[in-house]
Amino acid sequence: MHASATRVEDLRLITGHGKFAADWTLPGQLYAAFLRADRAHAEIVSIDTVAARAAPGVVGVFTGEDAIAAGYTKNLQMLTIAGRDGNKPLPTPRPALAHGKVRFVGEPVVLVIAETQAAAQDATELVEIDYRDLDAVIDPYVALAPGAPQLHAGVPNNQLFDWEAGDLPAVEAALGKAAHVVEVKLESTRVVPNPMEPRVCMIQYDAASGVYDVYTCVQGVNMMKKQLSAATDVPEDKFRIFAKDVGGSFGNRSPQYPEHTALMLAARKLGRPVRWVSTRSEGIASDFHGRANFVTGKLAVDAKGKMLAIHLDWVADMGGYLSPSGGASHTRNPATCLSGVYRIPALYGRFRLALTNAAPVAAYRGAGRPDVAYFIERLVDEAAVKLKMDRAELRRKNFIPMDAFPYPTPVGAKYELADFEGCLDKALKFADWKGFEARRAEAKKRGRLRGIGMATVIEGTGAGAFHKDEIALEYRDGLFTAYSVAHSSGQSHETTFTGVIAETLGVPHDRVRLVEGSTEKTLIGNHTGGSRSMVGAGSVCKIAALKLIEKATPLAAEALECEPSQVTFADGAFSGMGKSVPLMKLAADVTAKDLTALDVLGEGSVGSTYPNGCHIAEVEIDPETGVTEILDYNTVDDCGVVINHAVVEGQVHGAVAQGAGQVFGEKAHYDPQSGQLLTGTFQDYYMPRAGLLKRIRVEDHPVPSRINVLGAKGAGEAGCTASIPALNNAVLDALRVVGVTHLDMPLTPLRVWEAIQKAKKK
Amino acid sequence: MMKLTLKVNGQDHAVEVEGRTLLVDVLRDTLALTGTHVGCDTSQCGCCTVHLDGKAVKSCNMLAVQAEGHAITTIEGLAATVNAGDDLHPMQKAFSECHALQCGFCTPGMIMAASAFLAVKPKPTDDEICHALEGNLCRCTGYVNIVKAVKQAAGLPVDQH
Repeated sequence: MHASATRVEDLRLITGHGKFAADWTLPGQLYAAFLRADRAHAEIVSIDTVAARAAPGVVGVFTGEDAIAAGYTKNLQMLTIAGRDGNKPLPTPRPALAHGKVRFVGEPVVLVIAETQAAAQDATELVEIDYRDLDAVIDPYVALAPGAPQLHAGVPNNQLFDWEAGDLPAVEAALGKAAHVVEVKLESTRVVPNPMEPRVCMIQYDAASGVYDVYTCVQGVNMMKKQLSAATDVPEDKFRIFAKDVGGSFGNRSPQYPEHTALMLAARKLGRPVRWVSTRSEGIASDFHGRANFVTGKLAVDAKGKMLAIHLDWVADMGGYLSPSGGASHTRNPATCLSGVYRIPALYGRFRLALTNAAPVAAYRGAGRPDVAYFIERLVDEAAVKLKMDRAELRRKNFIPMDAFPYPTPVGAKYELADFEGCLDKALKFADWKGFEARRAEAKKRGRLRGIGMATVIEGTGAGAFHKDEIALEYRDGLFTAYSVAHSSGQSHETTFTGVIAETLGVPHDRVRLVEGSTEKTLIGNHTGGSRSMVGAGSVCKIAALKLIEKATPLAAEALECEPSQVTFADGAFSGMGKSVPLMKLAADVTAKDLTALDVLGEGSVGSTYPNGCHIAEVEIDPETGVTEILDYNTVDDCGVVINHAVVEGQVHGAVAQGAGQVFGEKAHYDPQSGQLLTGTFQDYYMPRAGLLKRIRVEDHPVPSRINVLGAKGAGEAGCTASIPALNNAVLDALRVVGVTHLDMPLTPLRVWEAIQKAKKK
Repeated sequence: MMKLTLKVNGQDHAVEVEGRTLLVDVLRDTLALTGTHVGCDTSQCGCCTVHLDGKAVKSCNMLAVQAEGHAITTIEGLAATVNAGDDLHPMQKAFSECHALQCGFCTPGMIMAASAFLAVKPKPTDDEICHALEGNLCRCTGYVNIVKAVKQAAGLPVDQH
């Protein structure tokens, strides 16, 4: 439906009339600047703010003392499962402004508010902080070992949480008797989400009503309210969240940050709106980072290639504090798909969360799913090499067959229907897998190393923190308006949600509009994240439209002078007794008498869907420089029924490029001794640029989901989940012929070149 | 503070700025032309790209006082440079038609950079397009559709895959 239509949201965005968070202004607004920790780990001995307070234009200076006095030291914690010893994750109190200690470079310590941005910035330089330096720890394995610097008094040995999933004795038995056990030790690198719009927060406090107006970037207003309330004990209904256009999210807009609550303190004390717009450097240092998972993995196979068991020993680097989503993202999420797309009788994963002197880690596009897919798919390739089997055939041999669905995995997930072999066959054909060796030979003649790699992956998407999703739908002045709390930050809800409604109602697409995050309507519902918007809120758009038709039917019967049972609805019109009335006309007539006559509230609860697919990447490496070029990239994804192919294709393009960024260059580097951030700006933090991904083919392989009315499965994250293993496997395939058997991301020219030189010397 | 006159989108504006004030801050804060965005602090991202006498410049990378005496065009005024002003510039159209934007934050800068590029290189190769957009970052699209849009705006054949 509505294939490749120009998007509803485009016009304002291409003409410069979008409204992003920094585009809001309020009369009398004050400007905020944060002074941040310039070191990784230190005690705060004293803070002298006298000169800053006296500086021209400064109206307020706030420190950790103010945060402690207000009790702003908490955050919502989404990790609620019990650990190996039955315990919950240990809390890491984090005041809105650092108090007593700083634990990572970039942690906000002092907040200065002034009449102009420049005055606020200037005054931060007048603050004197006396620190007593402590040893820092960046490597999570070192952090967990005896004798490491300790970050939080309440977290012995820096271990926040220790959890396991699966059946250890069964896995150990399988490993003991298997014909082959392959092992990998891998790192899914720490990366910075870097949506192009920096973080922004402006807060206005109304003392009479006690209401905080919060202008900030969100993935959904409800999630932000819930977290702000949890952090401050201010009731949720005392927050109004203002957000229109959001410049990318990737998980980064979901959490409440300490800056939000620090600005609440200032807005309340000063009685004027306070506004903070992050610089990119502040963002790279203090936005929650992604990935940062370290794993030792084993895969047991029999002599014929049947997979018998997987064992993962997983350490997740959580940084200096446990973020709201970091724990759940890097334990429960990966465990859900510990079986990959394979029928494996025995699975076990042990997950430990470690503190380090780096920025906290949270959900980032995929949130643990790309990491587990990477570890499993690397193991599968290792097994294929060991068995001297074709990598596609080894996968095919172990796929969960279609007659085994719904498939309960040994770790408690229940995969819904999928066609792994169908995806694989299409991808093999598009990528000309069989013809590859000829291309490799041709490249060799030119002195190039050519490689091909694949990933067959699955991920759990769709379930959310709120128990249901609501969509309000009403007719006013010639338009149907839908209200949603799932916020788009590029996912095109204004096009796709309205498309679903228009198609269900049989009205022109431009007669339906979407309002996201309205401050007037209070709705229950999830934020955008975990690839859930179309699956959840999108499905409820259809439910709401059907409900509206149902509500209109008796009114149509009156207009048609017949019984409701005699009325039928098709193609946007009600018919009965040989007469018909278009919905648009009926809606105008009935709402002229009773404005709310057609108002409906659609609702639905949607569980997990399991999008899956096969990606094949082909690369060529120049051994003289170590430079890798991605020559071809083919994706076949089952994200259920596709509502708008252009939008899905765009999501896949973007996610594959984000995966490619992580594979080939992105990494938040910290000095392992001092804990200084070494990639603190876009000068030295690698970002994917035009040309990284030249040729990509995106093919749908829809197997409709049975758990939502649209048949949709999540689409936003699959590109990351599959591209990270597919690209790594392709590079290793190219390099195996020269004796390279292991590489860790980022696969920079230097790292690839060094690996080739090292292999030559062997 | 210094007084100067800036010619923006064909109109003269008398403004008062500090010597250190960046052009982008005057455009956004003083003239309320918020289509020009700020995405970094090291002139890498290109979200703030505008035209100065028809050439693409990063408005975060020049002082407001340096812009006096030049014709500045922002995304809000781009369409008017090619027609009466009530329609879209071909690059704007191509971005929408090729789904070359998702969140839209980098888009104004991308469109300004790409349109200035085609003015000097009307029929570029794919590699030349990528090279020209080296200084503009996008986190959503993977750039594939952006390159496609630039080709379409240039009237070049566009690969449907």
